[in-house]
Amino acid sequence: MPKAGAGGEQGDAHSVAAYLVKQLKKKGADDVVVSAIDEEVTQLKFVNSIISTTQSWHSGKLNMFVAIGKKLVGTSIRSISKSAADDAVSKILKFTAAAVPNKEYEGIAVGPFSYREIAETYDKAITELGETAVDLLKGAIGVASRNGVKRAAGVFETTVSSSYLLTSNNVESEDRGTKAYFSIRAFVDKYASGHHVCNSRVLRKFTPERSAEIASAIARQAVNPAPAKAGTYDIIFSPLPFSNLIESVGRAASIFNVESKLSCLAGKLGKRVGSENVTLVDDGSLPNGFDSAQFDEEGVPTQRNVLIEKGILKTYLHNSSTARRYGTKTTANAGLVTPTPFNLVFEKGNFNKEEMIKEVKRGLIITNVWYTRFQNYEAGDFSTIPRDGIFLIENGKVVGPVKELRISDNLLHILKGVAAVGKDSEAVFGWEVETPTITPPILVRDVKVTKSVE
Amino acid sequence: MPAKSSVKPDDALDLDLAHFAIDYAGKIGASYADARLEATSVNGFVLKNGVPQAAGFDRVAGIGVRIVMKGSLGFACTNGLSRENVRAVVEKAARLTSAASRIGEKVKFSDEETNKAGYEVKQRVKLVDLSPKEKLAVLFDTEKAIKAVKANVPGRFFSMSDFYTEKYFANSEGSRILSKIPRTDFWYFITVEEAGRTAQRYWQYGAAGGFETIYEYKFPELLAGEVKATLSNMKKAISPPKEKVDLVVAPQITGIMVHESVGHPYEADRVLGREAAQAGESFLHPGSVGTTIGSGAVNIVDDPTIPGSFGYYLYDDEGVKASERWLIRKGIIGGLLHNRETSAILKTKSNGAARATGYDREQIVRMANTVFKPGSYKEDELIESVRLGVYFRNFMEWNIDDKRLNAKYTGAEAYLIRDGRLAEPVWRPTIEISTPKLWSAVDAAADNTEYHAGTCGKAEPMQAIPVWFGGPSLRIRNVRLSF
Repeated sequence: MPKAGAGGEQGDAHSVAAYLVKQLKKKGADDVVVSAIDEEVTQLKFVNSIISTTQSWHSGKLNMFVAIGKKLVGTSIRSISKSAADDAVSKILKFTAAAVPNKEYEGIAVGPFSYREIAETYDKAITELGETAVDLLKGAIGVASRNGVKRAAGVFETTVSSSYLLTSNNVESEDRGTKAYFSIRAFVDKYASGHHVCNSRVLRKFTPERSAEIASAIARQAVNPAPAKAGTYDIIFSPLPFSNLIESVGRAASIFNVESKLSCLAGKLGKRVGSENVTLVDDGSLPNGFDSAQFDEEGVPTQRNVLIEKGILKTYLHNSSTARRYGTKTTANAGLVTPTPFNLVFEKGNFNKEEMIKEVKRGLIITNVWYTRFQNYEAGDFSTIPRDGIFLIENGKVVGPVKELRISDNLLHILKGVAAVGKDSEAVFGWEVETPTITPPILVRDVKVTKSVE
Repeated sequence: MPAKSSVKPDDALDLDLAHFAIDYAGKIGASYADARLEATSVNGFVLKNGVPQAAGFDRVAGIGVRIVMKGSLGFACTNGLSRENVRAVVEKAARLTSAASRIGEKVKFSDEETNKAGYEVKQRVKLVDLSPKEKLAVLFDTEKAIKAVKANVPGRFFSMSDFYTEKYFANSEGSRILSKIPRTDFWYFITVEEAGRTAQRYWQYGAAGGFETIYEYKFPELLAGEVKATLSNMKKAISPPKEKVDLVVAPQITGIMVHESVGHPYEADRVLGREAAQAGESFLHPGSVGTTIGSGAVNIVDDPTIPGSFGYYLYDDEGVKASERWLIRKGIIGGLLHNRETSAILKTKSNGAARATGYDREQIVRMANTVFKPGSYKEDELIESVRLGVYFRNFMEWNIDDKRLNAKYTGAEAYLIRDGRLAEPVWRPTIEISTPKLWSAVDAAADNTEYHAGTCGKAEPMQAIPVWFGGPSLRIRNVRLSF
């Protein structure tokens, strides 16, 4: 763990974390969780097929979560020193003295736990990438240019991080990680574009040139889009837009959102929420998972949780406190306040793209969506806007590109309408999909599509 | 230190670190450098169904340095406020930017005046003077007020934060700006249940100032009223009319419309494709300025200098002096929002729209407070002038495509207008309309300006920035609702 910060005597994060736990316990804290996070991110942002900005971020901090008589507080220090820790302890005590208890709080996990390293979450090659990232990006932009694209925009980003966690309940754990992420939106003209993203924790599985090729192909096919009618369509969602919807399902599975009435899965445990074709997993221990980590925010080893199995809702996402309240076990998804998914995985099926298209009499291929907003989270009523190539299907054949449509439907109706599942998955993370999601293309029947009034 | 300023830096902020950063960048070959040294103290509280969640307090400080090396633009930041750390990140940025310059854009900044200034927003009730319990009391009072309404409200989620940001901007051209801005932010999410179905409402309030801004909004009364209106809507609402009708939209709707379909597409970086892979582009092109986009009743500005506003600033994050900017004047596009980079490309001057959410983000073109200018009518007069129509008090679901051409706004509290009077509530009337059609159909504005708060998203990594949007009630003639 590198040293970070300034001011006062410098210490290493492990000893300052231990000091914080000890001091806070001495002063009457019931639970203390300290996590030290150090992160270096480098980004190349490109616009009009050339680099517009290079960016780098470095941050190092100690996060603290403290419970004193069920009064809960979170804070952090950026200066990793004993004097900063003393200052934090005194502020925490002052703050909690005038706070109000959370009577629902049931404590943090009790350790010790044993951890296993997750495959393909750290790659020295990413830490050593440095300025050669420019060459990788140049290669990807070159692919787009050779594929008939007039201009491309996006980001090429790498992250190197380390984390250390210590709690007052006999938990101590440590992890490190690397990440690479690429997003490219390719334009043949202002109204003909395609978008693709890729991510990996290891460099050898990182495929920006493939993304450039896919984005370019969508853009080329999207030239001269025709107006289309509003109505009901069968829709083949590419992995990018379906991830956007699946992320909403993943968030709805958090018990925090269920309690807040921000979930269409509330009251549906053990009940059907999707078609037989829907199996959705959250897996914090997934090899090469973009947000995989050995432990959650209270130090519980991460695990694979089946959220929806063949259409039946199997579990909500919990931390130790919420699990105790509901008489169940933690799913290792702390979030000390809000249990959160790590990597959502929609189980593969056996359709290839051509077979899926043949299934459709009147439909659309949607390659991207954005601006998903809900009228009612509990009911699942939402709309979202396709962007980039949209393609009309008639009688099992792709007719051509169309434009300016909106999906105005219901999340549960979408899950129940899943009629075919592709056999090739893609890993999605990006501007519109903050929870890493792995999904194949999905065919959904009878989706309501609207458009601006004439 | 800014010259001739009575605003002094807080003890913890070492302004010389910013000077060191830009000097050091110059020494290693940067032709331009700016530094933003910032410290933000924040307190956050959440009350979920009557139970306080973990509260948070923090002080986030760091420095962001922007350099031009070999003609290319680079940005680096650190929260380690030592010269050693600053030197390291500037060197890293220089290396990477030099390497990128092989396939990098050659950046130019418009020539702007050098400014030296200091300013601050006063607090009548200082954020630091109230205990967590005193702040939480607002949320408990709101909870109590909702409980007093005869309604089933199973979801009651309130979030309240206060921020105090001290920021020092310095660049290699000699600009030096020190600012101290406190802000408050409150949002709620409620779920009302009636006869087996639910309706939900979300809204946000924010301002620059002390805790008095929270008290002034009177959240207990406001939320109790919201619950009553939602319940009445659920009990009595009829379906919206199918024929073409006139609409009267209240300031909340006006606000979201000017933000989404005027503010965003007028951001010059979007027009130039610089946000293409993130928040998207714009239906406008540089030649759109001076062309007609709406009726003569449409007058829209963006103004960072509105006192007490959520998007308040007097100098932007490139040190350019802020002022009111006309986006649409009498239906004609008045201009775009610029930073120094976009204005250089389009051979104009920056109008002070460069903003970053914190020291750790690059400064890009943003709105501040986007407002439809008031007209001379009373809202009642607009309603009285409609034979058959719908009045939208507020909305829930909304979105717009990434070129800002097709928007959707679904009403929450809405009423039928019959023969010039508000009649029965209407269930989820939906406006789904193109931007030119919308602004052409607006034919009158009232004088009841309201400002509403939002946290606007753009850039990668995401920069969620405080803004106001607002204006008066508007009349929109002869449009069909969407179903």
